Amino acid sequence: MSAFFKVSGLGVRIGDAAILRNIHLEFREGEVTALLGHNGSGKSTLLKILARQMSPSCGDVSVLGTSFHHTGAREFARTVGYLPQHPPGTDGLTVQELVALGRYPWRGPLGRYNDEDHRLIDQAITDTGLDRFRHRSVDTLSGGERQRAWIAMLLAQQTRCLLLDEPISALDVKHQVETLRLVHRLAEQRELTVVVVLHDVDLAARFCDRLVALKTGELVADGRPREIMDAAMLESIYGVSMGVMERAPGQWVSYVH
Amino acid sequence: MYADSTSLPSARPTIPVSLPIAASILWLGALIASATPWLNQLDPVALLQAFWTFDASQYASVMAHFSWAPRVSIAVLIGCGLGLAGAVTQQILGNPLASPTTLGVEAGGQFGVTVATLFAPGLLAFSPDLAAIGGGLLAIGLVIALTWRLGFSPVTVVLAGLVITFFLGAMNMAFLLLKGEWLGNLFIWGAGSLVQNNWGPFMDLWPRVLVPALLMLVLMRPLQLLQLGQASASSLGARVGLVRMLALVLVVLMSTTVVSRVGVVAFIGLAAPVLARLLGARTLGSRLLWSTLMGGGLLLLADTLAHWASTWGDGSLVPTGTTTALIGGPVILLALQGFRNTHHMPGQESSPASFLPRRRSPTLIGGIIVTLLLITTVISMSWSPGLDGWHWTAVSQWHEAWVWRGPRMLAAMLAGVALGLAGTLIQRMTGNPMGSPEMLGISGGAALLMVLIVLSGLEVGRLGQLGAATLGAAASLGLLILLARKHRFAGNQLLLGGLALYVFMEAGLRLVMASGGTVASQLLNWMYGSTWLVSESEALGLLAFITVICGLLCLAVRPLTLLPLGDTSASSLGLPVARARLLLLLVAAVLTASATVVIGPLSFVGLIAPHLARVLGQQTVGRQLIVAALAGGLLLSVADYLSRIVVFPGQLPAGLLAALVGGIYFLWGLSRHGRA
Repeated sequence: MSAFFKVSGLGVRIGDAAILRNIHLEFREGEVTALLGHNGSGKSTLLKILARQMSPSCGDVSVLGTSFHHTGAREFARTVGYLPQHPPGTDGLTVQELVALGRYPWRGPLGRYNDEDHRLIDQAITDTGLDRFRHRSVDTLSGGERQRAWIAMLLAQQTRCLLLDEPISALDVKHQVETLRLVHRLAEQRELTVVVVLHDVDLAARFCDRLVALKTGELVADGRPREIMDAAMLESIYGVSMGVMERAPGQWVSYVH
Repeated sequence: MYADSTSLPSARPTIPVSLPIAASILWLGALIASATPWLNQLDPVALLQAFWTFDASQYASVMAHFSWAPRVSIAVLIGCGLGLAGAVTQQILGNPLASPTTLGVEAGGQFGVTVATLFAPGLLAFSPDLAAIGGGLLAIGLVIALTWRLGFSPVTVVLAGLVITFFLGAMNMAFLLLKGEWLGNLFIWGAGSLVQNNWGPFMDLWPRVLVPALLMLVLMRPLQLLQLGQASASSLGARVGLVRMLALVLVVLMSTTVVSRVGVVAFIGLAAPVLARLLGARTLGSRLLWSTLMGGGLLLLADTLAHWASTWGDGSLVPTGTTTALIGGPVILLALQGFRNTHHMPGQESSPASFLPRRRSPTLIGGIIVTLLLITTVISMSWSPGLDGWHWTAVSQWHEAWVWRGPRMLAAMLAGVALGLAGTLIQRMTGNPMGSPEMLGISGGAALLMVLIVLSGLEVGRLGQLGAATLGAAASLGLLILLARKHRFAGNQLLLGGLALYVFMEAGLRLVMASGGTVASQLLNWMYGSTWLVSESEALGLLAFITVICGLLCLAVRPLTLLPLGDTSASSLGLPVARARLLLLLVAAVLTASATVVIGPLSFVGLIAPHLARVLGQQTVGRQLIVAALAGGLLLSVADYLSRIVVFPGQLPAGLLAALVGGIYFLWGLSRHGRA
């Protein structure tokens, strides 16, 4: 598998505080990667840099071998989709209208939407199980449904990569699992590269191919779930003493001592 | 796999019927009202024909062709243009209360024309648009420069725009007071008059409105993305900054061209989109369409009302700007009831503070300010220009100078103290750093009643004025409380309600201005704070009053610390939230009213003094109150002194001076920490 994102020598400073320091990392194509770490470890910042929402103080990021500096705004939006941590209120837009906005990178300010666009919009709505809510205002949906509506917009964007910033932090357990399962399934079906910021280590290990952990702005762990789900490793990431049980193959339970 | 329950699949939402019905009622009503006076003299067909031809043998027909028809056309044209510009502005900033008026664009345009009239009249003859566009670009440029680092966060942009509106308004007033003889006709022009006597202006104007309008429509799809917030819009490939900039420039072009032709036609650009939205225009396309239509209808109606008022009144001209403001106020109030989720405005996420508040010793800071106050007092009493140059009055002769210099200085100082206290109270209570007596329209309410008194021609003494001002302040606060009760006094609703009250005051003021005469200049002097009107007994009365209030405030320090934690936390800590807020708001109203009588409604001190206290490192409530009061007193006593000497032997209103200085300080502060 080739590298989708390549991050080299990345550093971010805000004022005197170093948010990220000297990060070297590759995100491989078709892989679901979870970013882990305590609050303030820099994982959201790293994601924002991958999404080009922020520019780094030093170092470089390239997508598919092209440096960020040489990619146009819409070209980039056709490659990488980003879901912010708190999507704003959508002010009366219906689900379908929201999802249709995902076609903007392909059609631009004036281009007409053709049948293909409408098919992709419908497909995205169906894939996220929102058919029944198609004409409902997004603001009136429950938290889980709203999250799915935004993910549907990213799907209609037809990118090869999704960047999700804590997509499940405001959801209950059922919706958390459903959302991650959806992301996992879509990643498999469409061979998407996914980078997702998560707080729940167990869910991350369950649904992601690879776990990357940051601590105070530095890379501390990077590997398969099997390598990361280890008491000593988790302790070094989170700074509290923890234990791990493997209940069944690929299903870990971590707990705090 | 998704077990989400409840809702039934619903059909594609359509535009509610009420929207076209309301729009056609509005248009029909406006057209009929506008045509009625003519129908006595001309039959409907002939009246309709007046739009393109006339019958030279019939006087009424000539009048209709050259006066009525162009006036209707220009009202519709401008109304439509401003409605569209307003809808676009609201979309750009994701804020249901943004408009060319609230962004300072119209005030900027007016400022440009005023400056050009005074200093470069040749430019006006060449093209009035240039001066207005220059002024509008200056205003929006200031707004952008101030909010650039915040990525145009909508709330900050609107607030910066409002401050700039006030500031440029004050500059305008300063010119009017200093050079009134040159600018007399600007009174009427500034208030927006649509009177026409041929088709020339309309023919001039229509391409200038149509071209930006078409360009705005081209930008529609990128504009729609802005609805998703900065992060999502840019991750969809829209250049958020560029789109906003382009659209804003178009809005500026459109609205300042209108300003340069007919003066400030305020609040159509705000009222039309708000109405369209309230009546159910949901998608961007329908909002743009219906705002345009509503704007045209609204302005036609407002213009007809102004025309009727001029005809039926005592013959004095009632500019259309007045009636649009009278319509605009209620619409904003309506909007406040309608928008339940303004606190979810996109882009208004809570982000970590970008600077760490420093703390400094209150004794040190307080000591320094008290020393400065004393120095100001001494200088103000002693060192002043006479007809034969500057001279120094020794302390032993102060009792002779006291009558002239003492009361006004004391009153200015006390007004500053009152505003500093009121501002701190309001900022703490609303948890809104832009909250202040001026911004919340409390001063505006007080001023409105004073304006009404002047209009009615009643002679009331100073005490009567104080009573009236208190009544006005309390009434506007009461109204705010009623409005905001639904939102439990949440910050932004209060601010927006205050804006609506300000609109009313503005309307009254325009009316007085347009009527001209001595009343107007008397009112202007008072509005901008003429401390020279204060007598000794009044100053001493104010002193006693403020002392009592200060004593009362000692009891309020702890509730004020709790309130910003939010209603839930405050009430679970045992504070009767609603009652505490009510009492504190009342105290703030009384303080504001007493200051407004002395210094006028527009001094900015209530906004600045609390800020200054924070910048000087006073973060807790008690300390902020003390330092803000002292700083307010210092600001206004310095302003009073300067107002006496700057144009000696003439006098400038101290409040105006304070507003100019304060406005500059405030804009600087806004750009400095961004979070205002």
